[in-house]
Amino acid sequence: MYTGKHVLITGSSKGIGLLLLNHFLANSAKVIGFSRNDFVHQSADYEHFKVDIGDAKQVSAVFKQIAKKYGHIDILINNAAVLTSQYAMIMPAGNAEKMVQTNILGTFNVTREAVKLMRKNAYGRVINIGSMAEKLEPIGDSVYAASKSAMRTMINSMAKELASFHITCNTVGITAIETDMLNQLPREKVDPIIKQLTIPRYAAPADIFNAVDFFASADSSYITAQTIYLGGIN
Amino acid sequence: MTVHEEVEQIILNALNTLNEGFNDADKITVSTDTYLFGKKAQIDSLSLVSLIVELEEQLSEKFNREIVLTDDRAMTREKSPFYNVQSLKDYVVELLTA
Repeated sequence: MYTGKHVLITGSSKGIGLLLLNHFLANSAKVIGFSRNDFVHQSADYEHFKVDIGDAKQVSAVFKQIAKKYGHIDILINNAAVLTSQYAMIMPAGNAEKMVQTNILGTFNVTREAVKLMRKNAYGRVINIGSMAEKLEPIGDSVYAASKSAMRTMINSMAKELASFHITCNTVGITAIETDMLNQLPREKVDPIIKQLTIPRYAAPADIFNAVDFFASADSSYITAQTIYLGGIN
Repeated sequence: MTVHEEVEQIILNALNTLNEGFNDADKITVSTDTYLFGKKAQIDSLSLVSLIVELEEQLSEKFNREIVLTDDRAMTREKSPFYNVQSLKDYVVELLTA
């Protein structure tokens, strides 16, 4: 499905990023991954870069290496995000700042550099991994939900800037899935939220792959600034 | 070839490449007098952005140092360095010789 395509995934070393990494590799893509930690993957079609996406200088330096080695990027998956779920009145300021720095500015830093490489080929697919938190606004997720909302607004605005370069920008608003991030949250908090969904179950990896593949498809050239929410959220 | 001539050639080449992507009706005459920004601009703002990105990459590669055209120095000038090809060339040479 992705033969000859270069895919960049942020936050690729664990959770949904790792699931997506394996999905794209299984479908013949060359995958580049970012995370703050060292990470080794057995596939020769994967290269990892240790980078803090919240640091614009680090991101710019890494993209110089990518430009030299790969020339272009076809698909960017903005997956990296940090989450601290806590009541606002007792949320540590540093945790709130980190969410803004990584989720919003980090996404901006990476997207800005990636689309420069997409521009050369006059082709690109930017896909944000959004969250049900943005729509459901759950207790404890004030900053996280706001950051996901900001990511969507940002990418939709970029979609207008980038349409003439044949670059589309879309968001997959996912529900909860079994990941390290979910494990940070108490199940007694998440389970009731899941029960209230139109389709009241946790997401499976295939649910996410299906929506990502749709936006990533070359056939989706007339679809931009859109969000697909899983599980019936609207 | 002097630095001035090299920079001018890179700008004109990038502008010609940009021009090739325009529809016939939108094509511009490329010269050192081509207006890039302001009321007389012959290209739209997104095309100027594309030109800047292309130039930053080509200039950085040619002169083996990072060239950033859109920092505070450029943005706060009374007369934009992006006004026309000539002013852009002068600005790039200024950055290279700073």
